[in-house]
Amino acid sequence: MTTHDTTETTESAVDPSEEGIDWQTKLRYFLNSDFVRSSPYWGIPFIIMGIAVYGGIGYNLAISFTDYAGIARPSFSSLDLEMYRRALADESFRAAAFQNFVLLVGFTSISLGLGLFLAVLLDYGIRYKETIQTIYLLPMALSFVVTAQLWLWMYSPGNGVLNIFVTALGFDSIDWLGDPRIALAAVIFALVWQFSGYAMVVFLAGLQSLPDDQFEAAKVDGASTTKTYVRIIVPQLKQASVGAAVVLMLFALKAFDFLYAITGNYRPPNGTDILATLMVREAFQYGQWAYGAAIATMLLLLSLAVIAPYLIFQHRQGSL
Amino acid sequence: MVENDKLTNGLDRRTYLGGIAAGAVAGLAGCTDSEDDGLEVLHGWTGGDGAAAIETLIEAFEEEHSDIDGTFEPVGGDGNVELNTAVLQRLTNENPMSSFANWPGNNLKRYEGVLMDLEEDVWEAEGLKEDMQERAVELCTYNDKMPAVPIGSHRMNNLFYNTAAFDEAGIDAESLESMSDLMDALETIDQDTDYIPFAHGMRSAFLGLQTWVQILSSQSGVDAYTDFIEGDGDRDAVIDALETLREIQQNYISDDASSIGYTQAAQKLIAGEAACIHGGNWQYGMYRSDDYDFEFGEDWDWIPFPGTEGTYFYHLDSFVVPDDNPSSEETIEWQKFIGTAEAQVEFNNLKGSVPLRTDIEPDELTDFLAMTYEDLLDSEEYPPTLAHGLAVEPKQQNDCEGAIGDHFMDPYDADAAADALLDAVSK
Repeated sequence: MTTHDTTETTESAVDPSEEGIDWQTKLRYFLNSDFVRSSPYWGIPFIIMGIAVYGGIGYNLAISFTDYAGIARPSFSSLDLEMYRRALADESFRAAAFQNFVLLVGFTSISLGLGLFLAVLLDYGIRYKETIQTIYLLPMALSFVVTAQLWLWMYSPGNGVLNIFVTALGFDSIDWLGDPRIALAAVIFALVWQFSGYAMVVFLAGLQSLPDDQFEAAKVDGASTTKTYVRIIVPQLKQASVGAAVVLMLFALKAFDFLYAITGNYRPPNGTDILATLMVREAFQYGQWAYGAAIATMLLLLSLAVIAPYLIFQHRQGSL
Repeated sequence: MVENDKLTNGLDRRTYLGGIAAGAVAGLAGCTDSEDDGLEVLHGWTGGDGAAAIETLIEAFEEEHSDIDGTFEPVGGDGNVELNTAVLQRLTNENPMSSFANWPGNNLKRYEGVLMDLEEDVWEAEGLKEDMQERAVELCTYNDKMPAVPIGSHRMNNLFYNTAAFDEAGIDAESLESMSDLMDALETIDQDTDYIPFAHGMRSAFLGLQTWVQILSSQSGVDAYTDFIEGDGDRDAVIDALETLREIQQNYISDDASSIGYTQAAQKLIAGEAACIHGGNWQYGMYRSDDYDFEFGEDWDWIPFPGTEGTYFYHLDSFVVPDDNPSSEETIEWQKFIGTAEAQVEFNNLKGSVPLRTDIEPDELTDFLAMTYEDLLDSEEYPPTLAHGLAVEPKQQNDCEGAIGDHFMDPYDADAAADALLDAVSK
């Protein structure tokens, strides 16, 4: 009650209403509204999110306009786009951006394709379906650090499993992660191994939600199995694919931990540097805070660019 | 209106808000710095001989100064990268520690403007300027301040070799006097034995950079190297050295070189798989570990990197002290202790580096270190190491590593690497 009374008196500057309803009544209506009464519930998370997430993004953006580097305090007196210009002119930034793009496209499309293939196989009713499903999904449960170490062993030029096969076939052993021409492909392969199970589960859920009638109707009409899937079933998985693609692309943008764990230092194997690793290296190894912040901002914009089509798609579907 | 004051679930709104406020205050309190003014030292020696050495150093210090309550934290490894990150973050957040292990010289550029001057309180009070080797005094002086005290030096221009391998190939190590002698020897080992001629790690670019520095100095003289770090390098000499490095990396190293560091490379020497290796003499610290049966003079031996005899490529570890020190008095005691003969001998014998004081009796050191110590005292030249922080500023060093990393780790592009190297040091 007390709080309420003080509010009323301090609000006395509010203009009286044109229609003659006095301002006290209006205020009472306002304070009684769902918006105000529910505010303790949404307001607190709103403030925390606002400060921790959007405040952080804002501060990062502000720093990216400064020349902040090393131990000195950032100076906000002269703000410019110098760091962004520097990034675009920087050869290693362009290389990282290109490799990031290749990783994004390669990893996402292969994972989706493989996931769909596996989902269709499982949905077709092969034996030991549940077991196989678990086996494929299991890598997803492992952390990036574990899979990085695992693939480091697999790819080892001396005694890695892959090279045992390669040499058994009579070829020279291949330095998978050491050769910059194939290192990125090797990384994509390892990530596909980890995430195609996820794509499979998403597609499988989509497939299983389709009524059996459609299969039967197609069969009656004389459509082959391939045709049934290509023409009838897969087009209905659009929503599932868009969702899975967004998740996979975001993983591609932030594959930092996988690459970091491969070498254990800020410089990933040659030819696999991506924006996230470059950003961390510039900021935390070299103390180039402003430059790192500029890369972070561009990475954020890329992530938004990835999500935007998804949001538009959802909006058109009426889900947003 | 009355119901407005109550939330329907029975929890009083004011209690609820009060709880939030209390939580926020407690949270903020957690963020503030709890001022503990004890001695806090950060270092990067997390394992093996380094960890044993710092442990012994700490014990000796605590014995002598039982009144000082110190915490000593090891941070990461791998060429001080983790440690540098931790220190940089602490200093950026204005939360300095008492002292931290780091390379002095141009490396101190990282911490410019936030370092304490120990010239009067430690260097002059203890007479260290007279007792320490001249080069160390020079490298611990930065911007007319003396914020660091050296603890040990590693020699960089070494070639360690497996005696059995050299015997089998019929090579007399002492006769290797130039880079071409070494290249011939590597070819002989490759042709006549099953040994990997040259153990080499390429996982980190600094290892290639370090080897390139030795090749450059060997082929074109130490002056070519000092000209290079002063931003006045000769492009032809730089390219010649790169070409030699490429020849080694393409023909004489192990298949898994790109995924190993120097530790694993050195293990190939110990395991009798590789014939020789170049690296700082911390490798010595590894060889004599109880885990291996690998004896100096019998199983392995040492020569200066061919073509660099009479030169001591200088590496220096020191303890650096930031300004706004949380424990000035204790910190000064610690830094004084670092400079004592006792600390220098105890630490270096275990670490495999040599003391910087000039008044140590060589027989207080192990045989191998006594030999290195004598070289430290009477070499003709003491060029600073490039890959370990002394020669150029950190940004330049990073760019040099990037030059090797981007252009010279298979595929090899000597022209691009040379341009990038020369560009890195000219800025």
